[in-house]
Amino acid sequence: MGTINSALSVTTGALDADQEALNVVANNVANANTTGYTEETPDWQENAPIEVGGISIGDGVTETGTTSQRDRVLEERLDQQQQLASASSTRLTALNNMQALFTPDSGSSGATAGDIGSDITSFFDSFSSLESDPTNNALREQVLSSASTLAGDISGAASSLNSQSAALDQEASGVVGQVNSLTSAIAQLNLEIQSTSPDGDAGTLEDQRQQDLSQLSQLIGINQVTTENNGLSITTTSGQLLVSEGQSTQLTTGAVNGVMDFFLGGTDITADLASGGGQLGGYLTARDVDIPGALSSLDQLAYGISTSVNAQNNAGTDLDGVTGTPANPLDIFNEPAQAAGSAAAMSVVMTNPNQIAAASAGNGTGDNSNAVTMANLASRLIVNGQTPINSYSNFVSTLGATFTEVQTENTAQTASVTQLQTQNNALSSVNLNDEAAAMSTLENSYQAASQVFTLLNSIMASALNLGEETAVT
Amino acid sequence: MQELEARRANPELKELVVEASRALARLDAGRLEELVLSCQALNRGLGTLNAEGRAELARQAEEAAADMAVFARVLDATRANRNVMNRLRELRAVRLEYSER
Repeated sequence: MGTINSALSVTTGALDADQEALNVVANNVANANTTGYTEETPDWQENAPIEVGGISIGDGVTETGTTSQRDRVLEERLDQQQQLASASSTRLTALNNMQALFTPDSGSSGATAGDIGSDITSFFDSFSSLESDPTNNALREQVLSSASTLAGDISGAASSLNSQSAALDQEASGVVGQVNSLTSAIAQLNLEIQSTSPDGDAGTLEDQRQQDLSQLSQLIGINQVTTENNGLSITTTSGQLLVSEGQSTQLTTGAVNGVMDFFLGGTDITADLASGGGQLGGYLTARDVDIPGALSSLDQLAYGISTSVNAQNNAGTDLDGVTGTPANPLDIFNEPAQAAGSAAAMSVVMTNPNQIAAASAGNGTGDNSNAVTMANLASRLIVNGQTPINSYSNFVSTLGATFTEVQTENTAQTASVTQLQTQNNALSSVNLNDEAAAMSTLENSYQAASQVFTLLNSIMASALNLGEETAVT
Repeated sequence: MQELEARRANPELKELVVEASRALARLDAGRLEELVLSCQALNRGLGTLNAEGRAELARQAEEAAADMAVFARVLDATRANRNVMNRLRELRAVRLEYSER
């Protein structure tokens, strides 16, 4: 009887185990469209064999639980790539807004930053026109008018950049609330996972934690450190602790020198966050690197033009026979004390066109030699070792090159995220053949792409050489 | 319509490079194999180009330069991903080999 009972027990146990396994499969099917759900497989444990008449008989298997098909290393790699892609995407949007500001106006009469290049040319050309008739009032008015357009466009550009910076400041501050809420949730999940599944996969709790980590990676650059009993600590990419198992430290903000800085436990970590990744990294890089860089170039331009033109006008004699002095200067532009802030403050202070000193001192009021010198300032290295127009062209080119560089990075990072998501999905598959096939696809794609790249590289090198030969011929 | 047909038959270098980046991003090995064949054919045809064809190809090469930089970066990222996946595979194999039965 014992044997029959044992046999029935094995069968019942097998049916129970099958039922549990079916439940796991049903759960997988039910959650097939649940975001962040990782497929589970049943864990089987061999039951202890029973001894009947000295013979050992197997007692079947019992289902002891489930294991989610996940790989933390791959998930972490995916999170890291998401941080980079998110940062470059955010920065790209900011750079695109900056570039739009300096796109030449397509013919409308409104003053725009995009016209600064032509404004510079028009301004110095107005002195060339004045050379031919230095006492002509209309030509003098034209000098002041073109000076006013140039100053207005430069100060307008600086003002728009400052507005963009303020908007980025707001966006960056808004991210902090989301970061804090996610780190709190992860700390709470850590506690639950550590108490319920210290030695194994925590299934849906682990899925939830992974989803929060993925969202956090879109916002901020993080490192993940696995701790005892299935716990997890999170630091910023430069090592400041955000979550230590069940404890989270909140990010705070505070105004420093007119901009929002970010603190963790009283330490200012703004610079670390800027280079760390995620949306916050993108916002801060645009706010603290790209926009200040553009403003600095505009400041140099405004400072160089204002100080050089003022100095030259003060060296000559105006239509009333007056020469400028330090006490009563004949300044055309607001004289800047230093380069910083010159662009935003640039304006025309001269209201009387007679004060334009077209004549050189001592040559009489009908002379034009100082107007000639002023016109020639266009080709002198008055802006940080460059001519005004070259300085502006270089600034616009540098901005364009930065945009292209970040765009290239973003395309590559987004592609990398897509690839990793594909691989992660394959890994979550219960079928090991699918996983091997996915790996093989990755390998084949890489090999084929390497071949395409080598061939294209060779074709392009030949094409460019062929082009040169053609040009020589 | 004829122009469209001709363009499909003879895509510009830029289009080839952009398509290669896209195919690699979505790990479309089949499409990449097709592109290998296209590039091989293009490479073979270089020697038979006349002066006009050479100048045209030089123009296309200059236009494709920026997209080639993108392709290079996607290829770099794929190499890094492949290394991660290979390492994971090794780790998983070791885990299976030594896991308790």
